[in-house]
Amino acid sequence: MKFHPVKVEAREEIGGYTLLHYRWNGPVEPGQFVMARVAGYPVTFDPFLARPFSFYDHDGETASLLFEVRGRGTALLDDSPDKIEVTAPLGRGFRVNGAGGPVALLGGGIGVAPLKVLSRRLESMSIPYDVFLGFADARYSDVAHEFPGAEVATVDGSSGVRGTVLDAAPDLDRYAAVYACGPNPMLAAVKRAAGENAFCQLSVEERMGCGNGSCNGCVVPVRDGGYVRSCIEGPVFDAEVLAW
Amino acid sequence: MVVREKTAREKLAVELCGIALETPLIPASGTMAKEALGEVEGVYGAILPKTTTPKERAGNPPPRIAETPAGMVNSIGLQNPGVEKFLEGLDDFDLGVPIFVSVAGDTVDEFAALCERLSGDSRISAVELNLSCPNVEHGGLTFCAGPASVEEVIEACRAAIDKPLFAKLTNEGVVANSLAAEGAGADALTVINTIPALTIDPNTQSVLVRGGLSGPAIKPVALRAVHDVSRAVSIPVIASGGVAGGTDVAEFMLAGATVVQVGTASFVREPEEILREFSDYLERMDTTAGELTGALRGL
Repeated sequence: MKFHPVKVEAREEIGGYTLLHYRWNGPVEPGQFVMARVAGYPVTFDPFLARPFSFYDHDGETASLLFEVRGRGTALLDDSPDKIEVTAPLGRGFRVNGAGGPVALLGGGIGVAPLKVLSRRLESMSIPYDVFLGFADARYSDVAHEFPGAEVATVDGSSGVRGTVLDAAPDLDRYAAVYACGPNPMLAAVKRAAGENAFCQLSVEERMGCGNGSCNGCVVPVRDGGYVRSCIEGPVFDAEVLAW
Repeated sequence: MVVREKTAREKLAVELCGIALETPLIPASGTMAKEALGEVEGVYGAILPKTTTPKERAGNPPPRIAETPAGMVNSIGLQNPGVEKFLEGLDDFDLGVPIFVSVAGDTVDEFAALCERLSGDSRISAVELNLSCPNVEHGGLTFCAGPASVEEVIEACRAAIDKPLFAKLTNEGVVANSLAAEGAGADALTVINTIPALTIDPNTQSVLVRGGLSGPAIKPVALRAVHDVSRAVSIPVIASGGVAGGTDVAEFMLAGATVVQVGTASFVREPEEILREFSDYLERMDTTAGELTGALRGL
């Protein structure tokens, strides 16, 4: 896998999340991701693997990654590196269907990450959208300010309505399309709430090894039996394809 | 007479079981998808796609991978579309270099039937018998249980195919199994497969991944196995296990390998960089890949 060294232009903290901006002038499709790690590899080979992140934003010159520190890989990326190494944009992103009226965007926790690039695409196509975000608590929900008008839910009720993102989004079946990213149980619930005939696209969060289809580590179960790779066939799937 | 010095590229060339390879690097099976082929053009001396089995295999349920210090544990479970679909798509792997095919069956008969199926396919230069997958319920590592079982499966495959046969063996008992494979008609030995390993999530107090360890963490183990095996047998050894840089390639060749597989490291580096580092090493040491095999001093 090819990694490109890039300069970190800025680091921000948004609530419980970190946002890294780096120079990247190539095209980025909504829902695509990169594998990223701190520069200096492969001196120690530890942590061994790069980490997958959705693009949070991209303006043609600078790209940004929003993440939560979960382990050593993300802790190192959070520790103000001057340089990081990233792959080119990877995976199959959200397909935007231009017909049929307003669409819904749902994010669960760090699943908010791919919704910004998607919302920009929708704006460029003059497609109206509503954003619904669910978080554990108010510390994380600060990022909702980046999505003006977003409806927020927190599990502890410290911000927005008490409950999950679906408690903030009561009538999903009235939207022409539903786009969501978050943990698998949330995505399964979104799929059910959107209804069988909905145009519903789900971006899965999976641990990844390589990001280029080689290791078969990031698979998700599909309806027709077996597994497909979230790095190549996803990370965004038509909801109907997924087994759960 | 003027003897032209070999170019840097020519110094990389090796021969394996009568097959000319432009470089001594090949991918380890199961670590290079066809989507990644663009990255390895001109790098690998031969192509080795993921193991194929008689029928389609869904593979194991996730989680399938866990990162470990300088490596990872995987339990993929030989996910693949089955040999017929595999052969339909084999032209996708045509980079103008020889194609080696890795096969695995649950039984000796399945191994033999796979070899027979591949025997008439002129696109295939050699077959690697995966006798050591730690992540399947049947077959897999049990073929490496001892010399008798290695011998049985290789003899059956030998009778089914004329192409060069490589036996991919696990670390445990590798010397005795290598001698058995050689005696039963294997043309080369691939040493080693991933090492059986376990990861546990302390927060959920449950198993994360029970599978095979790969990556730089296993390099010294693989190096020892390659060295021991190459001194015990007279057929070529194909090294596999933790190769992540050009000097790793050199070390495996010094230990006795004729060619070297790059696996897990290709997830985190470009194989092209590894080849470039190895080529630089050959220039620096004023030698060639062919001369390096077994040139270890001492011991």
